[in-house]
Amino acid sequence: MEEKEFILQLLNPKTQNNAFQKLLSDYKRPLYNHIRNIVLDHDDSNDVLQNTFIKVFQNLNKFKGESKLYSWIYRIATNESITFINKKAKLGGTTTSVLKSKMVDNLEADSNFDGNEIQIKLQKAILTLPEKQQLVFKMRYFEEIKYEEMSIILGTSVGALKASYHLAVKKIEILMIKD
Amino acid sequence: MKEFKLNENSKITSGFTTPEGYFDQFTIELNNKLNLTNTEIKVVSIQTKRVLTLVAAIVVVALSVSVYSKIIISNSEENNTTENYITNHSEICQYDLIALLDKNDIENLSIELNNNNSKNDDEFVNSNDLYNYLTE
Repeated sequence: MEEKEFILQLLNPKTQNNAFQKLLSDYKRPLYNHIRNIVLDHDDSNDVLQNTFIKVFQNLNKFKGESKLYSWIYRIATNESITFINKKAKLGGTTTSVLKSKMVDNLEADSNFDGNEIQIKLQKAILTLPEKQQLVFKMRYFEEIKYEEMSIILGTSVGALKASYHLAVKKIEILMIKD
Repeated sequence: MKEFKLNENSKITSGFTTPEGYFDQFTIELNNKLNLTNTEIKVVSIQTKRVLTLVAAIVVVALSVSVYSKIIISNSEENNTTENYITNHSEICQYDLIALLDKNDIENLSIELNNNNSKNDDEFVNSNDLYNYLTE
């Protein structure tokens, strides 16, 4: 089915329900992973994922089709995640980087994390990167999102994204061999 | 010094997991929040049911009123027809009418006449302008 046709189905009250179920089925897992990589905690990811789908549903009539539906939904999810983690840090009277460090330190005790030593080390290494570089690295390395798609989602040129990812990999590779 | 190559080693996953059945539960909760169903069964909301009941009640009342008013009109038409019949058939004399009255009818008529007489007496006593009554 073409995307335009699918969008029309999402906007038509008669077909909206079924179309939205398909959208939910296609996007809930990858979007959860995207959000979880940013906010780290499962319960927080659940809240952000719900808010993302609610925003998508409520703003479908405003979607102009200038970008792909995929990019539009990912942009909403990214904005929701960043807003959430910043707000959470502010409420806790701390910075986003400090909050994330605490969360990564507690990963071993998290029942929704079954990573080993290397995975924890990688998470800690990622935290040393600047915010935007962290996001680029996670989207490319864990989620394998194409640079072209990432460019639309993050509003950054493909060249800049490639450079950012390359720098991030170099830094992480150095940190991974340190004790 | 040992080298570590991210893209050459086997992929390191994030290690994040979800509780069992999380995504199914998520779908149910989200649909509840958005008032959607994940089946094609059409659910009639309580609000819609109330509106339909109200419309049905209005239709029943409207039909009852129109049927009732038709019955009334048809009854009055029958009475008019009977009155017109009697008026237009002058060969029916007072003796014919008296013959149609039974004992009860005659008693009722006499009571009505008596009532009228007593009313007239009172009015005569209390009125100062007897002339008008006498000439009417």
